Amino acid sequence: MALREINRSVRLLMGQIQRCGSGVASKHSARCLSQAAARPEPTPNVNEAVNPTFVNRNPRNLEQMALAVKDRGWKTTWPHQQFYHRLMFSRSQHHVTAEVFSYTSPVPVLTCSTKEWAVKKELASTNCVAACQAVGEVLAHRCQQAGIMRMVYRAIPWTYRSEGVQAFRAAMKQGGVILSEPRRKYVGT
Amino acid sequence: MALRTVCAAALRTGTDLGVNNARTIATTAVLSKRARPLGPMPNDDIDTSNLESLETYRSYNRYFRQAEEAKNKRVWWKTYRSYVEKRVDIGLPYWPPSRTKVVKERRQAMSENKRNVELERASRLRTLKIPLARVQETWEKTGGPFDIKKLADHYGVFRDLFPMAYFLPQVTLRISYSQDTDGQVHYGNQLTPTEAVSAPRIAFDAEEGSLWTLLLTSPDEHLLDNEAEYLHWLVGNIPGGAVQAGEELCHYLPPFPARGTGFHRYVYVLFKQEKPISFREDLRASPCHSLVDRTFKTVDFYRKHQDDMTPAGLAFFQSQWDQSLSYFMLPRLLPVYHPPQVKYPHRQPLRYLDRYRDGKEHTYGIY
Repeated sequence: MALREINRSVRLLMGQIQRCGSGVASKHSARCLSQAAARPEPTPNVNEAVNPTFVNRNPRNLEQMALAVKDRGWKTTWPHQQFYHRLMFSRSQHHVTAEVFSYTSPVPVLTCSTKEWAVKKELASTNCVAACQAVGEVLAHRCQQAGIMRMVYRAIPWTYRSEGVQAFRAAMKQGGVILSEPRRKYVGT
Repeated sequence: MALRTVCAAALRTGTDLGVNNARTIATTAVLSKRARPLGPMPNDDIDTSNLESLETYRSYNRYFRQAEEAKNKRVWWKTYRSYVEKRVDIGLPYWPPSRTKVVKERRQAMSENKRNVELERASRLRTLKIPLARVQETWEKTGGPFDIKKLADHYGVFRDLFPMAYFLPQVTLRISYSQDTDGQVHYGNQLTPTEAVSAPRIAFDAEEGSLWTLLLTSPDEHLLDNEAEYLHWLVGNIPGGAVQAGEELCHYLPPFPARGTGFHRYVYVLFKQEKPISFREDLRASPCHSLVDRTFKTVDFYRKHQDDMTPAGLAFFQSQWDQSLSYFMLPRLLPVYHPPQVKYPHRQPLRYLDRYRDGKEHTYGIY
C-alpha cells in the first residue's frame, strides 16, 4: 500500500518522461545523461494518447453493461419484448428444440435440438423428459462457452407445469444460466 | 352527398392536406397508364384454361420445398438481394461426407440405442446423465463450424475483421490459458486480463508438413483509431501443431482493455498456409511495446498474403478492465522516468545501476 503511494507521488512529481525502454538508440540516452539539467522532453508519449471519442465496436458490450436499449412497449401483446436474449423451448411430436434469440435478429444465436446427431446419438428417445433435460444441459454448456449467461425465459402458461419444461428449466439453471436479465441502467445523455 | 365529399377529397391538393408527396389527378393519370410488362410474368407457363387437369401438391411439404427453390431462383426484375451486397466466402471449401453412408450408419446407431435396456431405464427413471464431453466432440465434427460462424456474426467478428467476407472455421482451435476448464477460450466467454497474462497453450489437428499462422487481434481496444485493431500475437510458419516451433513475428502481449470501456473482444484466427511465407514486412521489434507498431488491420494483412493462406480456425473471448492492469501499462508501454544518473546515489539499492543500462539485461535482480 505504501509502495503504491510512493509510486503515485513519484509519478505526480516527475513532469517529463524519459524513454528508458528497450528499442531506443543508445545515443539518445547518452545525450540525456550529459545534459543533466532538467530539459523538457520534446516528443510526447505516444502510447498515452487516447481518442476523445473512443468507440468500442463490440455489439455485446452495451448489453453486458446493461446500458443497451430494451424494446419497450408491446404492452397489449404477449410476451413482452424487453430483453437482450430470450430462450425458446418447443416440443414437437418427435423432437425437442431449444433456441436462444438475441433482440437484434430473428435468427437464433444458439440452438440445441435432438435433431442434431451430437445429441441424438446419446439418447434412446428424442421426445421424452430425459431428452428435455439433456437438451437443457447441452444448451447451458454451449451458453457458457458463448458467454451468454443471462436470458429471459417465458414458457407458454399451460405448458410451464409439465415435467418436460420443468426438467429443461432445472437443467439450464444447474448449468449456470440465470433466467432473468439485469434491469437497464438509464444514463443521462 | 357522400359522392360529393369523396370527389372533393380526391381533388384536394398537397398544400391543403399539409403533405409534400400527395398525388393529384394529373399525376395519377400518368401512373395508371397501362403498358406491356418488361419481361415474362411468373406464372405465364401454366395453362389456366383447364384448371381441373393441373397437378396439385397434395402435401404442404412438397409446396414448401418448391417455394424455397423459387425464392432462390434468379429473376429478371430487381429484388432486395441485388441491392444487399453479398459476402464472400474466404475460407476452406466445405465438403461434407457422403450423405447416404452417413444416414445409414446413424440409423443403425439409433436402432441400437432404442434396443439398449439401460438407456431406456435411465430415460424412464430420469437418471440419464448425458456425457457433455462426447457431445462436444461430435458437435465439433458435425455442426460446430456453422454454430461458431453464427456466433461470430452475432459478435460482429467478421464485420470488423474481414468486411464483406466470412469463413467457416473448420479447424477446431483448443486454446487454454490454465490447466483447468476456467481458462479456456471458446467463442465469446469472459476471461480476466489476470488469467490471460501469459501466452496460452494452443492445440489443433494438423497433419505432418502443414504450415499455419496464428493471429491474436483486438478490434475494440485501439485508443486512437476506431477502425483499427491492436495486434497482440502473431506466429507464422507453424509446422504441424507446434506453435512454439513457429516464427514469432510479434511477441505475446496480454490484453489491456481500458477502464470504463466495458468488454473488448480478443479474436484468435488460424490461417492455413500452402507454402512457407516470408513475413519480412510483418516482423516487429523483439519486445514490441510501441502501440503505433502494434496498430494493425487484419484485412490488409490478409490481402497481402491471400494467395498463400486461407483462414481456417476461429476462437474469441471477451475481457474487461481488471485491477492488475492499473500498473501494467506504466513500466512497459509507458516508459518509466528515472532522474539523471549521479555518481554517488544516496540510499539507492544496487538495481539503481540496472535502470541506466538502456534496456540491456538487468543483472542485479531484486538487489
